[in-house]
Amino acid sequence: MRPPLKPQRVRDPVHNLIEFGTDLLEETMWRVIQTPPFQRLRRVRQLGFSELVYPGATHTRFAHSIGVFHTARRLMRIIERHIGDNRLQFQEAQARTALAAALVHDVGHGMFSHAFEEIGKALDLKMAHHEAVSDLLIRDSEIAEVLRVYGSGFADDVADVIKRGRPGNLYDAVVSSQFDADRLDYMRRDRLMSGVQNSGIDFEWLVANLEIGRVGAGVDETAVGEIDTFILGRKAHHAAETYVTALFQLYPTVYLHKTTRGAEKLFSAVMLRLVPLARDGDAARTGLADNHPLVRFAREPDDIARATALDDTVFWGALPMLAEAPDAGIALAAARLRERRLLKCVDVRARLGASLAGDRPADPAGWAALRRRVERLVIRVEQRLKEWNEANAGPFPRILVDKTARDPYKRFQDSKGPLNQIHIRGDGDRIHDMADHSAVVAALEPFHVFRAYIAGDDAGAREAVEKIMADEIDKAGKDDAEA
Amino acid sequence: MPKPDYQKAAEIVRDAGGRIVGRTRLQKVAYLLELAGFGEGFAFEYRHYGPYSENLTEAIVGADAFGLITEEERRTDWGGWYSTFDATPDAGRPEAGPRARFAAAAAAIDAVELELAATAAYLRAVEGCDDPWAETARRKPEKVGGGRLERAREAYRQLLALETARPLPPIA
Repeated sequence: MRPPLKPQRVRDPVHNLIEFGTDLLEETMWRVIQTPPFQRLRRVRQLGFSELVYPGATHTRFAHSIGVFHTARRLMRIIERHIGDNRLQFQEAQARTALAAALVHDVGHGMFSHAFEEIGKALDLKMAHHEAVSDLLIRDSEIAEVLRVYGSGFADDVADVIKRGRPGNLYDAVVSSQFDADRLDYMRRDRLMSGVQNSGIDFEWLVANLEIGRVGAGVDETAVGEIDTFILGRKAHHAAETYVTALFQLYPTVYLHKTTRGAEKLFSAVMLRLVPLARDGDAARTGLADNHPLVRFAREPDDIARATALDDTVFWGALPMLAEAPDAGIALAAARLRERRLLKCVDVRARLGASLAGDRPADPAGWAALRRRVERLVIRVEQRLKEWNEANAGPFPRILVDKTARDPYKRFQDSKGPLNQIHIRGDGDRIHDMADHSAVVAALEPFHVFRAYIAGDDAGAREAVEKIMADEIDKAGKDDAEA
Repeated sequence: MPKPDYQKAAEIVRDAGGRIVGRTRLQKVAYLLELAGFGEGFAFEYRHYGPYSENLTEAIVGADAFGLITEEERRTDWGGWYSTFDATPDAGRPEAGPRARFAAAAAAIDAVELELAATAAYLRAVEGCDDPWAETARRKPEKVGGGRLERAREAYRQLLALETARPLPPIA
C-alpha cells in the first residue's frame, strides 16, 4: 500500500494557488503528474516557436495541463450544483473520469506540438499525431499504472473521453465544449505569457454565469436527440462576445503570427529532409549520430518510445550538429533557426485582396463575390508557386508557402452543433446560438493565411513571387472585364 | 496539368446526383469513394465526426469560388446548421458509371448512419480494428441508439454489393 501524500501546492501565473488535496482523486492526479510521460511536458512549450516573437511565451504544456485540471475542478462544481439543485444523483465515476481526462489531455504532444503534427501528416508518421500518442500513454504507461487505483478499466475510460472528443455525458463538457477547461486555460495563459494586451476574457464573470442547459444535437440535417452541456446565463452576453472575439484576436497576434509561422516553416524544412535521410540509411548526412533521438525516431516512427524521446530541448540541442550537416538544406535551415535569421514574409493573401478590393462592398452578395475572387486568385497563385519551386530547386524549397484558416466561431468542418456553438439563455428562458444573439459574433469571419517565405538574399525567388502575383491579378482583371 | 482539388471536390457532388446535403455527408461520401478505389487522393484522418479530410474542406471552398458548385447554409430543426452543395453545369457532365452509382448510393444514406458506416470502415481499414462496429458504438454512444447502428451496417452492406474499383473492407 502506498503511503498517503501530504497536500500539495503549486504556484501558477494564471491561477495563483493550485492545491492538490489528500482525497484519492487529487492524490492520484498528483501521482500522475510525477510520472515520466507527464514530466516530459515540462520540455514541450505550449506555443512552440512563439518565444521567437514574444520572449515571455516560454510556458509549457506541463503548466497548462495543471491549469486545465484546476479549471476543470471549478467547472465540475457547476455541474455538481446543477445536479444537486435538480435532486439528481451526482455520478462520481463519470466526474472523476472527466477530471482525469482534463489533466492528461495533452500528454501526447510532440516537440513544437502542431508544427510536428504537420510533419507527421506530410510523411505519414503515426506517432507524430498527439491523439495517437496520448491514447497509448493513457492506456499503457506509467500513467495507466497510477490510474489503476480506480480499477483496471479506468485508464481506458479516461482515454475514451479524450478520443471521443465530444461529450458522451454532461460531465464530459468540462473537456469537450465551447467552455471546456482546455480553452479556458490556454486563452488566458497564452495571453498572459506572450504579453499581448488584447484578447482578454472576463473569466470570473463567464464562470459565474455558466449554467447547464439542454440543447439539440445532430449530424447535418438529422437530429440525434438532446444533450446537457454548458450554456451562459443572460447576464453574460458581453462576456460571451469578448470570449469569442478574444480568440479572433489571438489567431493573428499569437497563434498564426507571421514570424512564428516562418520559424515553423524552417523547422519543417529541417525535418522534411532529416526524416527521409535517416530512414533511408543516410543519417550521416543529417549531421546527427546514429543513436540521436531524432534519427531513431525517423527509423522507427511507429515506436511510441521513439516518439516520446523527442521534445523541444532535443531539437534545440541538435541544432549545432544539424547546422553542420553535410546536407545543405538541413544545415542552412538549422543555422537560420539557431541564429534567428528567419525568412522574409510576403503576405500574399493580403496583397491579392488589396488588389481587388476598394471599399468593402456593403451588400452581403457583393462581399461574397469579392471573397470568391480572392479565393480564385489564391488558388491560382498557389499552383504557380508550386510549379516555380519544382522548376527552381534550392537547398530547401526557395518559396515556403503557409496556407491555413482558423475560424473563431463558425467552424467550417463537418456539422455545426453543441461542440462548436455557444448557447446563451435569452428572454423567456429560450436558449439561443450566440451568433443569433450578437451582431459582433455573427459578423466574425475566418482568419485566412496565405503567405510566402523567402530568404532575404534570394532576389530571384522574391521576383518570382511578385511576378506571379502581378500576372494573376492582371489575368483576373481581364477575366472580370470580359465577364 | 493535374486536375485541381477544387475540380475533384466538385465532381464528387456532381457524380453523387448533383447534390450533397451536409458537410458530414460530403466528407463521408468522399471517404467511401477513396476506400472503394474511386477517389482521387484526398487524405483522411480521424476526427470527432469520423474520417475527415481538411484538403476536401479547402477544395469545396475552391469549387464554390470557381462556380463549380453552390453552397447554401440552412438551419436545422435541432438548432444547428447544415450546408447543401449543388453542382453547376461548369462542374462538367456527370459520370454514368460505377463511381457515380456508388457516390449516389452513399449520398442517399441518412447522415448519421453514413457517419457510423464510414467510421466503422475507417476503423477497419486504417486502425485494423477487429470489431469496428463495436468500436464505433463505443466512440459514438449518443448516435448508435434507436437501431441506427444496425441500419448503418445494412446501408454499408448495400454499398458492398455495388461494383467498386477496389473491394471495400468486408465488415458487413
